Amino acid sequence: MNQSCIKAIARKDAIQAVRNRLVLLALLSGILFSAVYYILPSTVEETFTLAIYGDSQLFGDISDLEEEGIEVGFFSSEEEVKNAVGGGDYLVGVVYPEDLTSQLRSGQKPHITLYFKSDQPESVRTAIEYLMQLSIEYFVSGEEPLIIEEEILGEDMAGRHIPLREQSIPMYVLMALIMEMWTISTLIVEESAAGTLRAVLVTPASPSDVIMAKGLVGISYSLVVAFAILILTWSIRGNLPVLFLGILLGGVMAVSLGLFLGSLTENIVGSYVYTSLPMLIFLLPGLLIFIPDVSLSVVKFIPTYYMVNAFDQILNYGAGLAEVWKDFLLIAVCDVILFILGIYALRRRYS
Amino acid sequence: MENENCSHVPFSSYDSKGLTGCFINYLPWQAQSFKIQTARDYHDPVVVTYKNPHALQGAGSDIVIIEAENLTYSYGDTLAVDHVSFSVDKGEILGFLGPNGAGKTTTVRMLTGQLVPQEGHAKVLGYDVATDAKKIHARMGVCFEEKNLYPRLSVKENLEFFARLFGLEIDIEALLKRVDLVKFIDYRAEELSKGLQQRLMFARSLINNPDILFLDEPTGGLDPISADAIRKIILAEREKGKTIFLTTHNMMEADKLSDVVGFINEGRIVALDTPENLKLELGKRALNVKIRTEKGFDEERLLLDDSETPQRTKELLENKNIATIHTQEATLEEVFIKLTGRKLIGGS
Repeated sequence: MNQSCIKAIARKDAIQAVRNRLVLLALLSGILFSAVYYILPSTVEETFTLAIYGDSQLFGDISDLEEEGIEVGFFSSEEEVKNAVGGGDYLVGVVYPEDLTSQLRSGQKPHITLYFKSDQPESVRTAIEYLMQLSIEYFVSGEEPLIIEEEILGEDMAGRHIPLREQSIPMYVLMALIMEMWTISTLIVEESAAGTLRAVLVTPASPSDVIMAKGLVGISYSLVVAFAILILTWSIRGNLPVLFLGILLGGVMAVSLGLFLGSLTENIVGSYVYTSLPMLIFLLPGLLIFIPDVSLSVVKFIPTYYMVNAFDQILNYGAGLAEVWKDFLLIAVCDVILFILGIYALRRRYS
Repeated sequence: MENENCSHVPFSSYDSKGLTGCFINYLPWQAQSFKIQTARDYHDPVVVTYKNPHALQGAGSDIVIIEAENLTYSYGDTLAVDHVSFSVDKGEILGFLGPNGAGKTTTVRMLTGQLVPQEGHAKVLGYDVATDAKKIHARMGVCFEEKNLYPRLSVKENLEFFARLFGLEIDIEALLKRVDLVKFIDYRAEELSKGLQQRLMFARSLINNPDILFLDEPTGGLDPISADAIRKIILAEREKGKTIFLTTHNMMEADKLSDVVGFINEGRIVALDTPENLKLELGKRALNVKIRTEKGFDEERLLLDDSETPQRTKELLENKNIATIHTQEATLEEVFIKLTGRKLIGGS
């Protein structure tokens, strides 16, 4: 390889990329998209809120729950409870009959109405139903019906859950890297489509020099954009060398994919078509942060899943190399495979 | 139906041993013999000899800049270049002519190391094109027919980039002056007209002061004045001892610039000689006579080699109604048609 050729091509590609409006837009959109960070909730509401109306004899016992992180509000009518839950101030509303106590003592089955906010999952609704049954049983017998032991497996995150905006940071970083895949692919296709590659290859520059230069430009842009996002979202934290290594590995993956995809077509429109589907697939593990109830085991077959997982561990849980080395190893293996594939495909195209 | 005879024509043989020694100004002129078979007349091959006063002679093998022997390349089942052999000496301009699809580009790509010959071999500047392409590239300039500039880089940046690839720092302004582009130095390539882009590409091919230039339609898209300026630079480079491989459709240009013209058709070289020799041996010289009549003018073309021409000329001269009379030289276009049965542009 010829170092002066690599330097010259990399310098030219850097200028070309910045002067290409589409590429520039793609680079900036990655950064601009991180503005979503600021509109996501910055805190996690861990208090369970309960709106209650009904037999006042129960109130004294239920209010003990407030010590356990359950906030109870008492209302003077069923209508008020409905409004409080419907308005979003409370998660659940409970309406007991006015004569609940006498109904229980006479052996009747009292009728209790529960109100839920529309976004409460089925699991919460079922849990509340069981809670009601147990609390009434406790009220009737005067004894706790169960002996419960509580044990937290792993780190106790009570009181310090990660807000959604912090959980979304790995996705922005991933997005920056995926944009690089597109940028590299575009640079390659553009060079080929314009015939400039032919002009370069009849100089002392070799195909390896061209590929190496484009790879370096791509990885440099990846690092710059990824760290720009982290700075803009005030998210530079955790183990920085490990974070840098993670972004570097991710950048290599994006560039390798870009090299491969860039070899598949000779025109810009074709390159958009070829890159759009892989972009969506590789972004999927990042997007799943926004839909936590969806569990797709298939995402574990997407290499970027391990990237997102590692970034999440480093940025949000202070993980070091000891915690994320398995993720890094998998990414590195994918990097090697994709890089070889990319170089092979491009060399075939260039020769 | 086009050129059906030609498909049976055996490859014209090139006798590289057929050198004759002539001495003028103490320089031995080179003379080489070729047997040229025409498409229509292949039973009677024409033997012509050319002498190139511009070919620079010297000791050792460095006078032969391009040596191609049996170069062959196929795209799948399509034979693009079929056992082509020729050589070009130092200080020569070879005009390489042929219709679209004749094998010109493939030949150039093999000579410039962009394609590896599937059969045969070639040496450029003494290096094998298949194994030492990068050594050739360092001393070679290429001007492509396609406009392959970096559109978002300025004229200066385009040239600086290529200079860096050669590890050179050059006076860009001086280079641009040669092609009259200095005032556009800061323009982006995409802002230049096609003609200006062509001039920039030509300047780019000179950036490393190459020993050999491969020029593909270097004056394509240029106005007559710019084209003439480029031709003067080509001739000036030749005077410096540079070898030029000129690919063109423009017969006039090939005629003006080339020391030697090679015709390629259907992957084979069908003629290789000086333009003068080709025209003399294979073209038809004629007299064009314009005769006054009662209705206006009639025109008559008399072939000089026709046995009846002297008698007819005498009759016309005695008639005294001649308005104008001109001799007409054969053109390379006519020679090409005679050799191949095809026109250079536009098929049969």
